Amino acid sequence: MEEQVDTQLTEVGPRNSFLSAPISSLSILFSYRFLIQNLLKRETKGRYNSSFLGYSWTVLEPALLSAVYYFLFIMLADNPDRFYPVWVIIGVIVWTCFGKCLQATVTSLTRNASTIHLVYFPRIIFSYSSIGSIVWTTMMSSLVLIPLLFVYDIQISWQLLLVPLAILLAAFNAIGFGLLLAPANCINRDVEHLIRFIVRAGFFVSPVMWTWDMAVERGWAADVVVWNPMVFPITLARDGFLGHVTEFPLYGVMISVGWGLLLWMIGSAIFSKYEHSAVKYL
Amino acid sequence: MREQSIVVEDVSLSFPKKKSVSQILRRSVTSSFLALDNVSLSVERGEVVGIIGRNGCGKSTLLRIIAGIFSPDQGNCRSAGKISLLAGLGTGFTGHLTGRENAFLYGSILGHEQNVMKKLMEEIISFSELESFIDEPLRTYSAGMKARLGLAVASALNPEILLIDEVLGVGDPVFKEKSKKKILDMVSEAGTVVIVSHSFGLMTSICDRVIHMSDGKIKFVGKPKEAIASYYASEEGRN
Repeated sequence: MEEQVDTQLTEVGPRNSFLSAPISSLSILFSYRFLIQNLLKRETKGRYNSSFLGYSWTVLEPALLSAVYYFLFIMLADNPDRFYPVWVIIGVIVWTCFGKCLQATVTSLTRNASTIHLVYFPRIIFSYSSIGSIVWTTMMSSLVLIPLLFVYDIQISWQLLLVPLAILLAAFNAIGFGLLLAPANCINRDVEHLIRFIVRAGFFVSPVMWTWDMAVERGWAADVVVWNPMVFPITLARDGFLGHVTEFPLYGVMISVGWGLLLWMIGSAIFSKYEHSAVKYL
Repeated sequence: MREQSIVVEDVSLSFPKKKSVSQILRRSVTSSFLALDNVSLSVERGEVVGIIGRNGCGKSTLLRIIAGIFSPDQGNCRSAGKISLLAGLGTGFTGHLTGRENAFLYGSILGHEQNVMKKLMEEIISFSELESFIDEPLRTYSAGMKARLGLAVASALNPEILLIDEVLGVGDPVFKEKSKKKILDMVSEAGTVVIVSHSFGLMTSICDRVIHMSDGKIKFVGKPKEAIASYYASEEGRN
């Protein structure tokens, strides 16, 4: 037998260790930035393709939706807070960002089945690039708040930056949960239908049509809803609009950020552990 | 001393079968399909290896194991150098983006860097013969134009290991000749080539060795003519 050299051979299909998965996902994002940039372009350019109003829809959609909810609320509750329409707009924007990110991450493998079958790169890239494009369009929709500042005669302050921060936090809270479920969705699409239900139901359980203050007025309600990780981002954005840093309780902040962080770590690890076996189901 | 480029050792891979609720309840069906059954293969650097066999015999799956798309249930696969799989030209092509944007997207999916793509763009435009169409949205393209663009981007690859899965023969007859020539150029430039094709004439002319696969197993490895003979022998046995 001939002498053979196989020192430079490397195992095909790199696998991360379970614990370092969240960190290595960040280095993957960096090394594949050109690909991500192109995928982002595809998703953002495609979303409002062949529509006359184009990007204006990002602003129109939450605005129209809030008009409907405002009308509904006047009918139900009468005498609303004068800021109520704004609270609903912000609620809709931040919640929709979370909902879309969650759905996009859960379906990231199933939507890209044809690409996955033809080329290998870390599939976590699909999740992050769709999240990137959703965050970008959400930032665009939040521009609807600028004219509202003048309508309500609110001073422009640095605290307005809390609005984009809240959007990022909402997206971050969705990533982990989505990554956790994406491999399962390859095996069984029931997962994405369930998630769609959760996003719809969560709309009412989260402070989209109500506010943290309303919950506090009811006393016990605040103790319950504080466990919902989306209460903090929405409240943060609303307070930022008014120009003050939120008075949301610190333990509530920790619940929200901790929930996102914990799920991000678990989700990344689960994703990198199971992506290889999950793609066989596609 | 021969350098090894690809080493596949005792690789088995099975695909799960989709089951309906009633089948799960009855527990009556086998739950998986064995696509590769204990396959071992070693390819030396500079070698051109062909794989033949009926549809569903595991040829494409084996290429995808080497490319890292699937990871084996058992065994392992190692390789030396950058691998590219040439299959399904134009993956990720999107109608609303222009030809140029699609070329960048497809190129980045295939693993090109940004500066490489910028350099290759001229060559891609001239090879695909799209000229001013390159800045029109892809939905205005004919099927042949899409295929040309796909091949132009894919053939700009310069991998050390090239895997080809049935991509010969796109576009009109003139372009078909041109694309075949281009792929043959790629084959001669690449360090190592594994090619899956039903075109036995081509296999005989370019391959050093041909593998005959059947039902997820390697039936025969050897000279192209002998492998093709083995293929026909086993097909006749079947009928």
